[in-house]
Amino acid sequence: MGKRVLLGALAILLVIAAAYASFYIAPEERTMGVVQRIFYFHVGSAWAGMDAFLVCFICNLLYIWKREQKYDWLGVAAAEVGLVLTTVVLITGPIWAKPAWGIYWTWDARLTSTFVLWLLYVSYLLLRTLVEEPDRRALLSSLFGVFAFIDVPLVFGAIRWWRTQHPAPVIMGGPGSGLDPTMNKVFFFSVFAMHVLTVFLLVERYGLEKMKSEVDVLQREAEAL
Amino acid sequence: MKNLNSVFAAYIIGWGVFFLFYVSIAKRTSDLRTEIERLKNSVTRK
Amino acid sequence: MSLLSNTSVLLGKELRTEFRSRELLTTTIVFILMVVVLFSFTFDPTTAESRRFGGGLLWLAFLFAASLMLQPCFLREQNNDTLSSLRLAISDPFAIFLAKLVANTLFLMLTELLMLPVFAVLYNVPILPTFHWLLLVLFLGSLGISVAGTALSAISAQARMRELLLPLLLLPILTPVLVASAEVTVGLLDRDPVMQWKGIGFLAVFDLVFLTALWMFGEYLLEE
Repeated sequence: MGKRVLLGALAILLVIAAAYASFYIAPEERTMGVVQRIFYFHVGSAWAGMDAFLVCFICNLLYIWKREQKYDWLGVAAAEVGLVLTTVVLITGPIWAKPAWGIYWTWDARLTSTFVLWLLYVSYLLLRTLVEEPDRRALLSSLFGVFAFIDVPLVFGAIRWWRTQHPAPVIMGGPGSGLDPTMNKVFFFSVFAMHVLTVFLLVERYGLEKMKSEVDVLQREAEAL
Repeated sequence: MKNLNSVFAAYIIGWGVFFLFYVSIAKRTSDLRTEIERLKNSVTRK
Repeated sequence: MSLLSNTSVLLGKELRTEFRSRELLTTTIVFILMVVVLFSFTFDPTTAESRRFGGGLLWLAFLFAASLMLQPCFLREQNNDTLSSLRLAISDPFAIFLAKLVANTLFLMLTELLMLPVFAVLYNVPILPTFHWLLLVLFLGSLGISVAGTALSAISAQARMRELLLPLLLLPILTPVLVASAEVTVGLLDRDPVMQWKGIGFLAVFDLVFLTALWMFGEYLLEE
């Protein structure tokens, strides 16, 4: 229990430190001004979200192979945490876009792909609510999780190709825009902080799932008596 | 710097989402903990 | 028995079942026709506009039709309780999937080929000059829809609210197919038609990736 509190405290500290660095240590970007500082939070969440979905994918594969409940618990935890992170990406993107471009949404390639990614994992969680039996639910959602994850590079690739055919404003700065070294350091620190936060949320959500299963077992025991 | 509001909004909304998520997990966890206690008691009583 | 012979036997069964009643084909064709007609009210269907929007609308119609058409794929087996006997008779689960997805691809392409000239007439878009290329994109796109659709139909058949669940699972997964197929089709229907091989490449990669995934994980999809 103490370890979890420690992890939580560490996560909060790192996130606050990253925010401080984003405002006071990183230099101001020439063209977009102060709005660009959203970048550290926005992209940090995006990368952490992708890694959460990667964890979900690995757990899905492990569950299909080994059929141990803990992989299902970690899988759904990772999917939910990933979805929360992706939601933050989809909210901060338009908040950035409005002052930068005057409109909230430009069907920018990365943001559009992120939206589809979001929909995929919403479907994953919806599927879980529609299967009652725990083992069947774990197997079916693991299989869909595998299909969803292998689809992700195809989604990103296809949408990026489509965007090259129909150019439009790019929300996060095109591939040409490099990062000044201080910005780079602040950026990677942000990414690190978001990952620690992710791990903390994963641990908490996993614990909840594990407890749900305990309640199930106890309920069945109580009914059997 | 009017755009500063957007940056603040982004950070605060973002942190808000994480905080709400954590709070919902914590609440459900404590609810389940009481449920587990209740079930354990009813099982041992029987 | 080999994969090929197993698959052809099952494919024959799928085709015979459908052609006996033709209910799936007729309802799918009518559905696409309705969507095509309704779309005409959403923009000004001059030739210029239709060239820009037609490809996308066509594939959207195909996608919606497919997510309905794929429902009975495994539901039929479930309702008639034939899946377990099928698995006993045929050792390789991939054969079952292969037969179903080939049948689904054929059914889809049949409805698409019937609808294409109707679309061309209603929207004043010429399809004959690039017809052979359209055939290619129809094939690769329909194959992609069928592979993913057959796999996901096996999943949704085992859940509640399956009629709503299948489109919910299928449509996000098929985003690359929609994007690539629509883009290639729009290019082919343009006044100066162009063949976008990159799009074809994407479709081929999608088809290959999901066929491989189905081959690797098919048996778990059919677990009882």
